[in-house]
Amino acid sequence: MSEKPKIAVYTCYCGGNISHTVKCEQVAKLLAEQPDVVVSRTNMSLCSDAGQSQIEEDIRELGVNRVVIGACAPSLHEQTFRKTVIRAGLNPYLYHHIGLREQDSWVHTCDADGATCKAVRLMAAGVAKARLLDPLEPIQLEAEKRALVIGGGVAGLRAALDIADQGLKVVLVEKTPFLGGRMAQLDTVFPTGEEAHILLADLIDKVVNHDKITIFTQTEVTKVSGYVGNYGIQLTQHSRGVSAENAKALQDACQQMVADEFNYGLTERKVIYQPYHGCYPPLPAVDWEHYNGEPININGKSEILKDEIQQFELSAGAVVVATGFDPYVPREGEYGYSELPQVVTLPQLIRHMALNPGAKSLEWQGHKVRDIVLIHCVGSREIEGIDEPQEDGQVNNYCSRVCCTATLHMIEELRENFPKLNIYDLYQDIRTYGRGHEDYYINALDNGTRFVRYHGEEKPKVFAAPKGDTHPVLVHVTDALTYNQELEIPVDLVVLATGMQPRQIDDLVKMLKVSRGNDRFLLEVHPKLRPVETAVNGVILAGTAQGPMNIQESISAASAAAAKVISLLGSGQVELQPFVAAVDPEKCNGTGACVEACEYEDAIALETFVEDGKEVTRAVVTPANCTGCGACVAVCPNRAIDVQGWTLAQYEAMVDAIAMDIVDLVEAG
Amino acid sequence: MMAAEKPELSRGELLKKLRAEHAQTVERTQELLKDQKRIQRDICSFIRETPKSVPEIAKEIGLPANQVLWYIASFRKYGIVVEDGMCEDYPLYRKAEEN
Amino acid sequence: MNNVKVDALVIGGGIAGMQAALDLGDQGYQVALVEKEPSIGGKMITLSKVFPTLDCCSCITTPKMSAVAHHPNIQMFTYCEVESVDQQENGFDVSVLQKPRYVNADTCTGCRLCEYACPITVPSSFDRGLGSYRTARVPFSTAVPQIAVLDIENCILCGKCEKVCPVGAIDFTQQPETFSIDTTSIVLATGFELTDLDAKNEYGAGELPNVIDPLMMERFLAPTGPYGRVLRPGDGMEPMTIAYVQCAGSRDETLGIEYCSRTCCMYAIKQSMLISGALPLAEVTIYYMDIRTFGKGYEQFYQNAKAMGVEFVRGKVAKITEDENHNPVVRVERTEEGDVVERTFDLVVLSLGMVAGDPLSKFGLTPAEDGYIKIPSVNASPCETRRPGIFVTGTAGGPMDIVDSIVTASAAASAASAYIRSKTQVGIEEREVAHV
Ligand SMILES: Cc1cc2nc3c(=O)[nH]c(=O)nc-3n(C[C@H](O)[C@H](O)[C@H](O)COP(=O)(O)OP(=O)(O)OC[C@H]3O[C@@H](n4cnc5c(N)ncnc54)[C@H](O)[C@@H]3O)c2cc1C
Ligand SMILES: Cc1cc2nc3c(=O)[nH]c(=O)nc-3n(C[C@H](O)[C@H](O)[C@H](O)COP(=O)(O)OP(=O)(O)OC[C@H]3O[C@@H](n4cnc5c(N)ncnc54)[C@H](O)[C@@H]3O)c2cc1C
Ligand code: SF4
Repeated sequence: MSEKPKIAVYTCYCGGNISHTVKCEQVAKLLAEQPDVVVSRTNMSLCSDAGQSQIEEDIRELGVNRVVIGACAPSLHEQTFRKTVIRAGLNPYLYHHIGLREQDSWVHTCDADGATCKAVRLMAAGVAKARLLDPLEPIQLEAEKRALVIGGGVAGLRAALDIADQGLKVVLVEKTPFLGGRMAQLDTVFPTGEEAHILLADLIDKVVNHDKITIFTQTEVTKVSGYVGNYGIQLTQHSRGVSAENAKALQDACQQMVADEFNYGLTERKVIYQPYHGCYPPLPAVDWEHYNGEPININGKSEILKDEIQQFELSAGAVVVATGFDPYVPREGEYGYSELPQVVTLPQLIRHMALNPGAKSLEWQGHKVRDIVLIHCVGSREIEGIDEPQEDGQVNNYCSRVCCTATLHMIEELRENFPKLNIYDLYQDIRTYGRGHEDYYINALDNGTRFVRYHGEEKPKVFAAPKGDTHPVLVHVTDALTYNQELEIPVDLVVLATGMQPRQIDDLVKMLKVSRGNDRFLLEVHPKLRPVETAVNGVILAGTAQGPMNIQESISAASAAAAKVISLLGSGQVELQPFVAAVDPEKCNGTGACVEACEYEDAIALETFVEDGKEVTRAVVTPANCTGCGACVAVCPNRAIDVQGWTLAQYEAMVDAIAMDIVDLVEAG
Repeated sequence: MMAAEKPELSRGELLKKLRAEHAQTVERTQELLKDQKRIQRDICSFIRETPKSVPEIAKEIGLPANQVLWYIASFRKYGIVVEDGMCEDYPLYRKAEEN
Repeated sequence: MNNVKVDALVIGGGIAGMQAALDLGDQGYQVALVEKEPSIGGKMITLSKVFPTLDCCSCITTPKMSAVAHHPNIQMFTYCEVESVDQQENGFDVSVLQKPRYVNADTCTGCRLCEYACPITVPSSFDRGLGSYRTARVPFSTAVPQIAVLDIENCILCGKCEKVCPVGAIDFTQQPETFSIDTTSIVLATGFELTDLDAKNEYGAGELPNVIDPLMMERFLAPTGPYGRVLRPGDGMEPMTIAYVQCAGSRDETLGIEYCSRTCCMYAIKQSMLISGALPLAEVTIYYMDIRTFGKGYEQFYQNAKAMGVEFVRGKVAKITEDENHNPVVRVERTEEGDVVERTFDLVVLSLGMVAGDPLSKFGLTPAEDGYIKIPSVNASPCETRRPGIFVTGTAGGPMDIVDSIVTASAAASAASAYIRSKTQVGIEEREVAHV
């Protein structure tokens, strides 16, 4: 580093977020006194165009060659300012960012002087580091122009289609033998009343016939390695177990029955099965999880079905996670569920209606339903301390977003089909928020549905009625719409509007190193800045794996995910941050301690060179595989390794500045 | 379109045309300016020495309080008045020092 | 002005339009963004802090504005109106009117000397009329572009601005100009407007000075707000009791707006929390029918507000009047108690609803019953309008919050790019992809 550092320092008010606690002007003034600082400014919001222009101007006009910014967390705007610095013609890594908001003003709101002192120290440390910064170049890598989409529900299908439509290759992986996910289990859908399977068939048709999309069903991701632009993926696929030739005969001959999860256990199916007519792929499959291994007799020949598991390796530049949701399953006894046969979930009732089209009256287990009650928010909006936690200790304190409209949509169906039915709707708040959703509520109010409002602290109770009563079940509820009147409603059927939970995807979460929120759904980086991206570069979310959504929202999220994949991989190149280990060959004498300490595959290795006619061994870093964790730095006896952009010398300078007496700091200026 | 007319008119002619077209709004705005100047003078002289609240100013100069507040907000923005203390739930305003 | 040729034209520079433009630009397409106001940013740039994260709004918006302005694939046209959209064989010919700024956009540096010299003060639309700016001005401090504009309707043509401008940018001879944009696809991001404050006689018909709209409250809570603190606009008092009236412009048959505006529960709760921060002694009451905190993390937000002491009262506000000190008096039927009570507040905020922002006829589109763009197949193509090649995003397609606007913006960008590709057969391989 030859040129003399000329450092510009900026202390941002963050529109008051910082300046309400930290005396920014004072900080700026003190920093201006530091050696090598040529300008020290404050700004109301530095990330605004005017703020950024100021930085550019200083670089251009004052010959600034190092930039130190104290503002919000680097996760928010470090990238923003990198681009600013580039625009002014400076290497983007000659800029250092300090999180004055998250690390100072927000945590010391009651101590303005302390916070100001801390800000001075942090900024002085930043200046000390900046002095030693070297220009770096991002690591450019060739990107695999192929995306992996995990999950073949509506979100996964849509993401695959949108990515492929832009000319990138897609591999779509579905765990079950059939495409469509939960949407296939719906009958008609809000807000349009269209038939789910027709909408779905249309989408599946486009996906299946797309020459850029390869589909794997009965397949799971079993290994993930690599990084954005070049993930190595291992897929494990179960065999279908039947062929086009023998499928029908085998299915006919198969005797083993299991509960049909497609109908949420309302019916049974064979272990060789097709969930519904018209599903894709059209070939039946064997349910290996439940198949008892017994031979099946066809034409006097007995055949034992064998699952031939296959593995595939592929590389993908990006991964879209669209693993969807599971409906909440009530605990035994929750509102009488699984104790009283007259208590069902909304998904079950949807299947029941779909299985009995054109029925003259609503029948449940052979009995005519005259009075029906639907209870909202089952397994959603639970309250800490009142509701029993789930198995993992969490209460589902979120709203599942679709169940209100789904319930009212069901009420409309019930009313149309069974005009005489008495319908009670027990709710906390009706959340028909979307376009066209409120109409279902208005219609239900008009068509004689009786609404009862309960409080989350005081849930309705479901009991078996005494023998000889007119109805099998009694529901007790306190109605907040009629001044907390206690009601006892005798009914024939109780429907629980169960919410959404993410699917069990622990393995996938671990392999991809993505995080989950408190609600266990997958977590985005920032709901506004990067709403479909995860903190892992190149891993993107689509649909209800991220949180409750309806079909329309799942599709939008999937298309948004596709847009991110295309921006990322479209050019065939990705950039990685250059914060990786770098070996100083002068100091390295090939002890190999670093290779042992490194936890990542192929990140650092010993290589032999000829130097001045002698053979020498030196450590060599493969930047693309290095995560910059610094484990090697710590063990090198010769201090021959540094993480670029965060060198030991830089750390030491920062520590010295932070540890300096504040008086000295001021005087050092 | 209007854009096509541009080269045909000189700057002077264009300005003349603009004045003619906007004669009414100019007149209306000139009236407004007169009012604004008077109100600014009245408010400023009332709060030159001691800071006052919006209702006090409104009472003194006979303007509805919401309008007074609008003026105060504007004066604050352009550095003509500053906030100076509170009286019960009302902030007080004072004329800024001239510089 | 030369004719412009692009792959995509985004109309509207609010958060949805900006995000759609950025996504299309990042994918390597040439984009034009047309905004009718002098600055991009839309409603979002006027907000204080935004739910559910409570980030300060300008921390999220201004960098996006800046990114749009500097993106190598995006051309920004502010203070422009779309006049007509003609279908061509492979796209659209869009005629755009550049309104005169009376300031030379190429030379103006945004120094604001004209603003300080200008003698006329007018109500600022940025502050919903409660703050002010001058006839010659940069519309607000974080405006993009930082170019002054002169409001000729409130000008006395005194020329003071012209005299002080250091670069001679003031130009009274500017005329409206039309130019055309030749584009393959269009993304409509024309946004929303609030329902009218004066729509309901029961709520004072807009004549009660201390009954305000929620965007006014956003301005009071913003660090750059007109008063620099939260005051009631009637007389500059710090309000100690504040009421929110939910569904004041939505779910109301008499207004012809039967739908839910989807954001009002959350913004009311957010504002209550911010008020508690700004005025720790203030008491906030929210009158509601249903609390609709359905988004990710939103229910928790609601529970936090309850825990902070915000009072939620279920009931329909029947009438708002005022007492002799202009204190609003709220008459409410409380459904849980089964009574009707009257309560006096210092300030009332009407949680107004959202209506579609711009008439659609010039785009050759007709509205659905709710006034928003008709989307023929929401469950298959939620961003596609009736006209192939024209897509919709953000609140132009129905009420929604910022999170949802941003997701639909990326979705619309995806749909538009698929369309562009199908029309032009430009392979992604051949296109230059910008690294910005
Ligand atoms: C009762 C109810 C009624 C509803 N009614 C409506 C309605 O009327 N209108 C509406 O718009 N929405 C409705 N919805 C919402 C709608 O069902 C969802 O929005 C939609 O199905 C979500 O799609 P998805 O692709 O995100 O998830 P899913 O449909 O769950 O798809 C996920 C897919 O990923 C697969 N998968 C999971 N894990 C893995 C793995 N590890 N590897 C590979 N594959 C995996 C799954 O097998 C599945 O195929 C309703 C929801 C409920 C609960
Ligand atoms: C009081 C209030 C508080 C809110 N708080 C929050 C919050 O905390 N968090 C949150 O997530 N959401 C919040 N919202 C919602 C949020 O404001 C909207 O979701 C968001 O602003 C919508 O952005 P948009 O781009 O769709 O529309 P807009 O912001 O309305 O942008 C539309 C843009 O298009 C321009 N335009 C219109 N017509 C034309 C035309 N013909 N030609 C050219 N340009 C045109 C407009 O000038 C405008 O710039 C709040 C809303 C309100 C009312
Ligand atoms: S959508 Fe309705 S039923 Fe579902 S959790 Fe939310 S409030 Fe409860």
